[in-house]
Amino acid sequence: MEKKIKLTINGKEVSARPDMTILEVAKENGIDIPTLCYIPDLSPIGACRLCVVEVEGSRTLVGSCHTPVAEGMVIQTHSPKVIATRRVLVELMLASHPDACLVCDKANICELRRIAADLEVGLPRFRARKHYYPVEDEHPRMVRDMSKCVQCWRCVIACKGESGTPLFGTAYRGFDSKVIYGFDQPLGSQACDDCDACVEICPSGAIRKVRKAGEERANKALFIKG
Amino acid sequence: MPQPRVVLKNCDVIDPKRIDSYLENGGFKALAKARREMTPEQITGEIKDSGLRGRGGAGFPCGIKWEGARTASGDAKYVICNADEGEVGTFKDRYILEKDPFTLIEGILIAGHAIGAKQGYIYLRVEYHYLLDHLQNALNQVKQKGYLNGFSLEIREGAGAYICGEESALMDSIEGKRGEARYRPPFPTTSGLWGKPTIINNVETLMNIPPIIMNGADWFSQMGTERSKGTKVFSVSGDVDKPGVYEMVLGSPLRELVEELAMAKNIKLVQIGGATGRILPGDKLDTPLAFEAMLGAGAVTVYDQSRDVIDIIHRTMEFLVEESCGKCTPCRQGTEVMVEVLAKFHRSEGSLRELRNLEALSSAMMLSSLCGLGQAAPNAVMDSLQYFRDEYEKRVAK
Amino acid sequence: MAGKGVITPPRDRADLVERLKETQRRYGHVPEEAIAELAESLAIPVHEVYGVASFYSFLSLKPLGRNVIRVCKSLPCYLKSAEVIMKAVEKELGIVPGETTADGRFSFELINCIGLCDHAPAMLINHDAHVDLTPQKIKQILKSYE
Repeated sequence: MEKKIKLTINGKEVSARPDMTILEVAKENGIDIPTLCYIPDLSPIGACRLCVVEVEGSRTLVGSCHTPVAEGMVIQTHSPKVIATRRVLVELMLASHPDACLVCDKANICELRRIAADLEVGLPRFRARKHYYPVEDEHPRMVRDMSKCVQCWRCVIACKGESGTPLFGTAYRGFDSKVIYGFDQPLGSQACDDCDACVEICPSGAIRKVRKAGEERANKALFIKG
Repeated sequence: MPQPRVVLKNCDVIDPKRIDSYLENGGFKALAKARREMTPEQITGEIKDSGLRGRGGAGFPCGIKWEGARTASGDAKYVICNADEGEVGTFKDRYILEKDPFTLIEGILIAGHAIGAKQGYIYLRVEYHYLLDHLQNALNQVKQKGYLNGFSLEIREGAGAYICGEESALMDSIEGKRGEARYRPPFPTTSGLWGKPTIINNVETLMNIPPIIMNGADWFSQMGTERSKGTKVFSVSGDVDKPGVYEMVLGSPLRELVEELAMAKNIKLVQIGGATGRILPGDKLDTPLAFEAMLGAGAVTVYDQSRDVIDIIHRTMEFLVEESCGKCTPCRQGTEVMVEVLAKFHRSEGSLRELRNLEALSSAMMLSSLCGLGQAAPNAVMDSLQYFRDEYEKRVAK
Repeated sequence: MAGKGVITPPRDRADLVERLKETQRRYGHVPEEAIAELAESLAIPVHEVYGVASFYSFLSLKPLGRNVIRVCKSLPCYLKSAEVIMKAVEKELGIVPGETTADGRFSFELINCIGLCDHAPAMLINHDAHVDLTPQKIKQILKSYE
């Protein structure tokens, strides 16, 4: 059997296998660290930074989804410094997010909103430019609205695509970065006829399934989306 | 006091187009010594003992980096010379590449021997494309003289991206990809280029290797301060009469560099280390140039009393927002927010609330960004708030 | 574009940036056909090649002029009146940054620090460095580019 190592999370000594990440160990011990770009079992992306934690001796916070545990590590997952940082990160995402939750299909099932609520983030302190991209609604099963993308890149790594070719990639640079299809073209009706993995994992309203108007309202008095 | 020349000792002494000129001046003796008389372990030991720290900005101890790669297991290992100096106001590596490409190549070959690498790359920024033939010419001559000794050294050129000076992005770029920052660990010394043990050293760092091997660690570590050994090459620009490249012993006061050598007058502030560097007001010129204080890659931009601090910081942030790779939230979004806030102050439409928010934002960026760019992006904002807060307050909307 | 097979086939994935630069040199930009060709020969999706092409500032997805002027806008050049140089280029060519002359002779761009700060203000035309610029010099320099 593999040797276990000992470390301390939030003042409690725990043991772990050396090949585990901080996030996995935290989870195993019932500690909930918010994540956005992370997908269990796939290689970590490390882009959203929401899962940062404090590790004693480290100058900066470290991403828990990609940092392996080490013997004797002392970790704080919810210190004031960590919480303050996570709140700023969510506010930064919201800063350039369309104020469209009222009419967004993902409204009540939106991970971004849930995380914002969990961290008690109100109206963001920061404002940034918003991205206006046309809605891509030609595909029979999914709608892409990149104006709502928070650049977690989950869809980029989760999609195996038809015949093993992933559907999405990243393009441009900096604030203009964007998750693209093909030559940065709208997702056409023939783009993909596969698994809907991207629809399932998108944490915001950027990729959602197609709903025919009124479809789910038949014989229902009132329907709230989500 | 005259300053010793370690890194620039051959500049304007040798003919950089002819290897014979380099050989006449003691060229490749260090390589011969390293290969014939020293084991890889002795070389990394010597570099560790010398106290040499990376000259590209981060100041990581060079010997420890080499030791990591030397002891790492891998069927292939790589040496990369980072010649992608993109930091605003930095041009020392251009000067070195122009004037003395041979010492650099010698340094790379010693590094290769030390870590057991058979292959190396010089990653040259495309903005210096006019140096490519010159560098290739030097490399060809080294090859013809047989000094490569089975080592394969290739020049790779960038395509225009500041972030590719960051080591993880640089490796992605050599791999033909977008230059995006990678998270660490794993560190390049165990898993770098194509997942193999790799060392990435700045041009100036490698220039120090042959003299250290020739003269020994003790000779080198006599120069400098407790934690900053040797000399440093500075690129001085801005409001000075004599802009240019200057080599000084580490720990020398900033005043000597900007006032005595570069002939600056009426200094309002000095930006040290470029866009991600620090800011010092004109009354702090006695600060030593050392890793203990502030250094970066040695870009020193001087601003005189006629300059507007908010304008400077705003332009600094405009640079960073354009050069962020865009992968992580704090850097991609944070630099953009900062530009917008600074633009408001620039138009005298700021607010005190936004100043407080700027501080919260700076802290989050420093703590959570994926790489050095995002972590250091708020430096100029924070320093200017510390030393020139009144200039921000003057720009609060009435 | 002259058709398929004109770009030197990349040896491997690491060759992509270099091949994109070659495409840029030849056609003045990176056209979609070239992206498709490179993607096919490397057996990678087009979005991956597009992603690389759109990342680097010396690669352009839109057609550029035969000569590309890149005037440095970073602080050391700004302190030495780079804006006067930009105005001089604008006046000489009748275009603003981001534009190409109607005859396709010049594109005019602004660039971040090119490491010629000791000879500010500075610019690159294609890959040639032009330093210690004055508005008077601009006319002369531009003349030598066809």
